[in-house]
Amino acid sequence: MSEPLLAIENLRTYFYSRAKRAFIRSVDGASLAVARGETLGVVGESGSGKSVTALSAAGLVTAGPGVIGGRIDLRENGSGYNLLDGLEKYSRVTERDGRVVAVEKDERGWRARSEQLMAGVRGKKIAMIFQNPRSALNPYSTVGSQLVETIRLHTSFRGRGEARERAIHWLERVRIDSPRLRFDNFPFGMSGGMCQRAMIAMALSAEPSLLIADEPTTGLDATIQSRVVDLLADLKAETGVATILISHDISVIQRLSDRVAVMYGGTVVETGRADEVLAPEVKARHPYTAALLASIPNAETIRRKSYLQAIEGDVLDTIDVPRGCRFYGRCRRVTDAIRENCAGLEPPLAEVAPGHKVRCWLYPATGKA
Amino acid sequence: MRRYVQTPGPIGEFSSLPLLQRAETRDLLYVGYGLLVLALVLASYLMGAFGWLPHDPRAMNVGLINTAPFTSGHLLGTDFLGRDLQSRLILGIQAYFLPGLLAIAISVVGGSVLGVLAGYGGGWVSAVVTYFDNLLDSFPRLVLILLVIAAFKADIYAIMIVLGITSMPATANLVAGKISFLRQKNFIEAAHALGLPAHTVILKHILWLNCRALLVIQATLGMAEAILVETSLSYLGFGVQEPTPSWGNMVQAGANYLLQGNFWPSTAPALAILATILGFQLLGDGLNNMLEGKRRRG
Amino acid sequence: MNRTILEVTDLRKDYSQNLGLLAKLTGKTRVIPAVDGVSFYLRENETVGLVGESGCGKTTIGRTVLRLTDPSSGRIVFDGRDITALSRAELRPLRREMQMIFQDLDAGLNPAMRVRDILREALTVHERPGDAEIASRIRELLEQVNLKDSKLANFPSELSGGEKRRVGIARVLAVRPRLIVADEPTSALDISIQAQVVNLLRDLQKYLGLTYLFISHDLPIVELMSDKVAVMYLGRIVEMGLTENIAHRPRHPYTQSLWSSLADKQSIEVSRRVSNGTGQRERRAWGVFEFEQPASGCRFAPRCPLYEQQGRPAVCTDPASEPPLRDVGKGHVVACHFA
Repeated sequence: MSEPLLAIENLRTYFYSRAKRAFIRSVDGASLAVARGETLGVVGESGSGKSVTALSAAGLVTAGPGVIGGRIDLRENGSGYNLLDGLEKYSRVTERDGRVVAVEKDERGWRARSEQLMAGVRGKKIAMIFQNPRSALNPYSTVGSQLVETIRLHTSFRGRGEARERAIHWLERVRIDSPRLRFDNFPFGMSGGMCQRAMIAMALSAEPSLLIADEPTTGLDATIQSRVVDLLADLKAETGVATILISHDISVIQRLSDRVAVMYGGTVVETGRADEVLAPEVKARHPYTAALLASIPNAETIRRKSYLQAIEGDVLDTIDVPRGCRFYGRCRRVTDAIRENCAGLEPPLAEVAPGHKVRCWLYPATGKA
Repeated sequence: MRRYVQTPGPIGEFSSLPLLQRAETRDLLYVGYGLLVLALVLASYLMGAFGWLPHDPRAMNVGLINTAPFTSGHLLGTDFLGRDLQSRLILGIQAYFLPGLLAIAISVVGGSVLGVLAGYGGGWVSAVVTYFDNLLDSFPRLVLILLVIAAFKADIYAIMIVLGITSMPATANLVAGKISFLRQKNFIEAAHALGLPAHTVILKHILWLNCRALLVIQATLGMAEAILVETSLSYLGFGVQEPTPSWGNMVQAGANYLLQGNFWPSTAPALAILATILGFQLLGDGLNNMLEGKRRRG
Repeated sequence: MNRTILEVTDLRKDYSQNLGLLAKLTGKTRVIPAVDGVSFYLRENETVGLVGESGCGKTTIGRTVLRLTDPSSGRIVFDGRDITALSRAELRPLRREMQMIFQDLDAGLNPAMRVRDILREALTVHERPGDAEIASRIRELLEQVNLKDSKLANFPSELSGGEKRRVGIARVLAVRPRLIVADEPTSALDISIQAQVVNLLRDLQKYLGLTYLFISHDLPIVELMSDKVAVMYLGRIVEMGLTENIAHRPRHPYTQSLWSSLADKQSIEVSRRVSNGTGQRERRAWGVFEFEQPASGCRFAPRCPLYEQQGRPAVCTDPASEPPLRDVGKGHVVACHFA
């Protein structure tokens, strides 16, 4: 791929649990990249680290220790800079046997530095929409005024009058009926689907280069979900904004993404083109992706009323991360030849086809299995 | 720099904040102090009840008026009539201990009943109880107490009953809040669906298992309140009368001698009041913080 | 032919809107019909799926059928016995036969009780087994729901979502029910765990002869689990029939839009179709229904594509005639003038 717009490299975001006296390795060395205008779908279940990755990219992680390592490169108009620039000065990581055992972090200092780095980026170049639409909207302020606030802050439309017109234009674009009337509505007077669209309008009205959408359709009714998905598809085509779309709903990811990254236990285990990674018959694929796709009822399983292929065991608890491959305990495709590796060593991301990478000992880095 | 260490390792998390500034230490100190006060109060109550006092609290010794602590066999000195202060202080606890318990009992039990009625019964029951709650809450407590004193005699038990009743709304609100939280999580419905009888659900599940911490905290704060009320009234002359000692009337009586430079007979009981009320308040506060902290971390 | 274990006739449940103390005292209340005349039946060992958007009343039906709330009118007959008006005391022994799996994973799991105590309490509600029997039944329950013994000592806060769901199911199984109302049993779970729970529910049905009323908004799972499906819209059943017919040959325009939005979400070809005629479609689909509007004819009319297509026929908005459920063959019923 050509120069990516946003490149996350080896991101590590940990949280410390005092109750369990251990690190919750929410993101444990994840690398993702989004190209200009492209939609990257990030799939994963709870504990996979997908949401925390997004929050880290937007600089919104506040709990301790938080982001402790990695690079996030934002490239624009030829120049690029690291949103985690200088992190090494504020966080010192001590490793033993390849695992982090101690972290020293100057949280206040890093917070200040991060705000410095993110000023002019958050909201303007990178916009974010969240799962619960009502939580992002100020309940005491009308939808219109919140939109105007964003527009005046982040775009060249500084005047109140022109910002207002712009806001109404955006309300129309997200297909809210009677935009001039809705402008003066408060969030409680609007349905969930409408609030979600208002939030999308707020995010896009700043004309960002990158939109991060964290579970935008979860929690909405089935019919509304498909409408929101349609809307996002249209807006993507119209504005050409790059998107990182995070969801556990594979059908939404399928519909909207150009490329897909599958996360499990804090790392990326597979990445590639959407139609390759999510297609039913691909042979070279991470066992977790395969198992995940098989556990969703599709036309065939429904017709035959067969049992779903459930993955045994529970989703990985990122506190007790095993030494080898994170999926080892639940994987059904382990063979004797690679068992030792699977149990003891984490596999690297290896390219199995152009642009398609898998992190599995079945496909070691030196070639195909 | 905040240091986080992953187990296994010899050191747990510690913060760069000095020991005394950390929240956990502070809470432990509060609770520790509070428990110490509680223990002393209990012990003193028993001692007073059984008469195991170092000296006779009424024995006047004209030769030893207003002595300082640690002199002449009196640990805390003597008052203006030569009476042993320590014994009088210990005996003073009698004035508020049992009445305080009465107030607590009424407030906790009554509050729980009100809270359960408000949270559990639906419709008009809840509306009426909430209305009643708010009504109680808006009574100015001290005025009410003075009214009671004016109407009946200055019976400390009557006063404590009033105190207990006016404290019910606070407990009731907490309990009702808990119930509405549990209800939101379909907890109560699920218990009923299983077939559990209502009394089991209320007593066992709601009150004992979920509310006992907050009820204990309410009790400690209630005791602090009771001590304050009793000592204030005694100070004003409405409570326990001389020669029976109460910390309040001891402060009052000793006040006459302040200007003469004998501040101890008045200050000693005042310090006792301060230290004891503070102890109960901090106990309640500390327990509350620890509970919140546990909930946050766990 | 299995016998009918549950029969619901013309069930109605109204909620009165909270207008404040004064209104309550003067008797002025606004009534919202959450369930507005619903009839269906369940045969033993069958699964009937109940689908619809949030607010359509499906959860209310589940709770009313089990008499967790009282119906405003209508009849509920469980196993031949009319339970509509039974008192709480009379209901208690029946409670063990009809149970509910709640949407909330924490429902019924007291955070201060260990799993072992939760199960023991469930086992002792209606019976008084001895200690040995309790122990063996607990082991049996754990086996049935596929939980490890080590989980017995845990508190609910120490369990994962899937484990909580399974403890909840074990708790319900402890009283040996015959009918289970499952209210969104898979919603709060991860996809791979959902598959586990769905498989578990199917196994339990097979081995224990359970009957399910399966309430969910997850259409593929409902399709997989159910023998029959009832589609609800704003308090009424608008279509009901064999799963296959509902999913592949839906007659009511609402059912059609439900299943097509599922396909829409997934298909990439639809994206090319969307740009044509989008505006019109959008306006209709997003409409928020006001409950307080008196039912003027068919309640789906404002959102109905057929209504538009047929040139807004008067019969659809005629206040006197709400379309009744018509039989269109093989037990498939539809409530539409034009289906």
